[in-house]
Amino acid sequence: MSALRATHAFAADVPATLEFLKRTRWELRELRKVWVWKDRLQIFDINGDFFEIRGVGYPDAAVVPILRAINAAFDPATLHAPTAAEYKEFLTGRRYTWAHDRVM
Amino acid sequence: MAVATLPAAPSMNAASDKDPFNNNCYGTTIDRPYKLVNLPVLDVNDFNERIIRGYEEGYGEKELPADLSLARSLIPAGTASLRDFSYIAPEIPKYIPENCTGCMDCVTECPDTAILGKVLGEDEWEQKLAALPEADREMYKAQWSRTKKYYEAGKKKTGVGGMFNIIIDPSKCKGCAECVTVCDDNALKMVAKTDEIMTTARKSHRLFKNMGPSNEKFISGNLLIDMMLKEQTHIYTGGAGSCAGCGEGTALRMLCAATGSKYGEDWGIVAATGCNTVYTSTYPYNPYMVPWTNSLFENAPTYAIGVRMRWDQMGWQHKPLWVVGGDGAMYDIGFQALSRMFASGMNIKVFVLDTQVYSNTGGQASTASFTGQNTKMSVHGKAIAGKQERRKEIAQIAMMHPRVYVAQTTAAHVNHFYKAVLGALEFDGPAIIACYTTCQPEHGVADNMAGEQARLAVDTRAFPLLIYDPRKGDTIKKRLSLDGNPNKNGDWYIHPKTNQEITFIDFARSEGRFVKHFDKDGNPSETLLAAKQDRLENWRLLQELAGLR
Repeated sequence: MSALRATHAFAADVPATLEFLKRTRWELRELRKVWVWKDRLQIFDINGDFFEIRGVGYPDAAVVPILRAINAAFDPATLHAPTAAEYKEFLTGRRYTWAHDRVM
Repeated sequence: MAVATLPAAPSMNAASDKDPFNNNCYGTTIDRPYKLVNLPVLDVNDFNERIIRGYEEGYGEKELPADLSLARSLIPAGTASLRDFSYIAPEIPKYIPENCTGCMDCVTECPDTAILGKVLGEDEWEQKLAALPEADREMYKAQWSRTKKYYEAGKKKTGVGGMFNIIIDPSKCKGCAECVTVCDDNALKMVAKTDEIMTTARKSHRLFKNMGPSNEKFISGNLLIDMMLKEQTHIYTGGAGSCAGCGEGTALRMLCAATGSKYGEDWGIVAATGCNTVYTSTYPYNPYMVPWTNSLFENAPTYAIGVRMRWDQMGWQHKPLWVVGGDGAMYDIGFQALSRMFASGMNIKVFVLDTQVYSNTGGQASTASFTGQNTKMSVHGKAIAGKQERRKEIAQIAMMHPRVYVAQTTAAHVNHFYKAVLGALEFDGPAIIACYTTCQPEHGVADNMAGEQARLAVDTRAFPLLIYDPRKGDTIKKRLSLDGNPNKNGDWYIHPKTNQEITFIDFARSEGRFVKHFDKDGNPSETLLAAKQDRLENWRLLQELAGLR
């Protein structure tokens, strides 16, 4: 069963939120996707377990560094725009390519 | 042929101290004996008991004598079944039967034949359970589910419900989590491997095989996705040496399943050198249960012409012959051989594992690479932003050869995939199927993302689905179908929830191979915008050919 593993109340302090992610990251397995609501984020792993960060959503500028910290594939140009859907979904499966740091 | 003295140990195909539940053995859903061949140059029993044992126990390369058996490099069918991969991943999927709907997505999409399904009538299921050791009975019984698909429908149709079981083969699973990702019902989750979990998994896999084959009464011929319930479709066994989550592995399994569903093991494969030949013939392991051969990178279709001629001389016209190769082999180095084979009109089928890169040799650009792709031969730097040429389209080129069946598909589009393969097999002449396959290390995506990225490739026009069947009429419009693509009459797919266009830029944003094309604000480069335009032009050309524009 999917389970909420941890919550964090965003208090206009991005470093504190990033610290929360670093501190609790081990409680999730490989990340799969993030749902960004108007007023919160839900970060899912492959098992469907998730973290919830409340108090920050897609209209807020502060959401950008949080999404970058979890490697979400989002477009900053349209991220803050309103959506007809309940939430915006971004995948978190992007990785470095093999030998990305050297030229063969 | 002289047979070396075999060690007085249990057979590699039987339980032993190292493999007490005999998980590493022949047969996928049931046990089988070794597949023997009547050849004076290959003694299957000697090979499996002496050479496979040497490699499985770690002394093969150093201590096995360099005799004729080794020097010939012949490998019997299905030796990968005897390979143990249980030590390579820290996690393994766990089945949650109460959530399962029996959709078979997990079984179909596993690249390693490591997650298996079975359906039995409730009456025979009860009888077989009663014969199990009492200590294990309740543990194993709890792993079966009553699904609407098999239980309720079966009860309505025949009076007996079908009991359904999913099992993980712990000796073949590489822990990629593709099965968990494709499951929409929360019926699988990844768990850490502990002694207890692994013992239960090994024991359950053994009991699963002991229960015998699925009852075919519960397998609908109309549901193509159910074909992997039948043992005869497991032509590609677990134990191949591909990367965890390899998109090619899934595509090859499904190709083999579809062909096996019609022809059993009475067909063959000519493989062009590439990743596919490395992981399916890493000595001494072979996952194929059908004859397989590999010559060079560039000549697989030519080689297949020779095999086809000889088979036809022997009266084997009925046997399908597949040529398997990557985009390097078919779009580039072996392109002339491919074109020549098409022109021959011979009954040879080609399956292209299109990873858009030379995966095996470290990721060099091929003519199938997308514009802007960062590869070893088109490195993204200050002067040049990745590959500057446009992608070659093998499907369109193949269509212009006289009377060739052509398809483009992905393993994530299961029905389209199976229809394409079965259509190619029914077609009396040359056929080619180009299959989009995710290469995790070269595309820069996680191990569980093969299916997700293949679907996104189709949704963003990076790799449109198509079937071109010359039997459908005398014009391209009648022959070409773009069914299966979202919004097939429009330019881009519009996401139904957000009403936003999903374009090639969205696809590129989700993969590491394009990451350098985005600035710090996430804006795409000029090259990537050109790639987007290229994909749109390609899509519009297909629409025009199909009579949709």
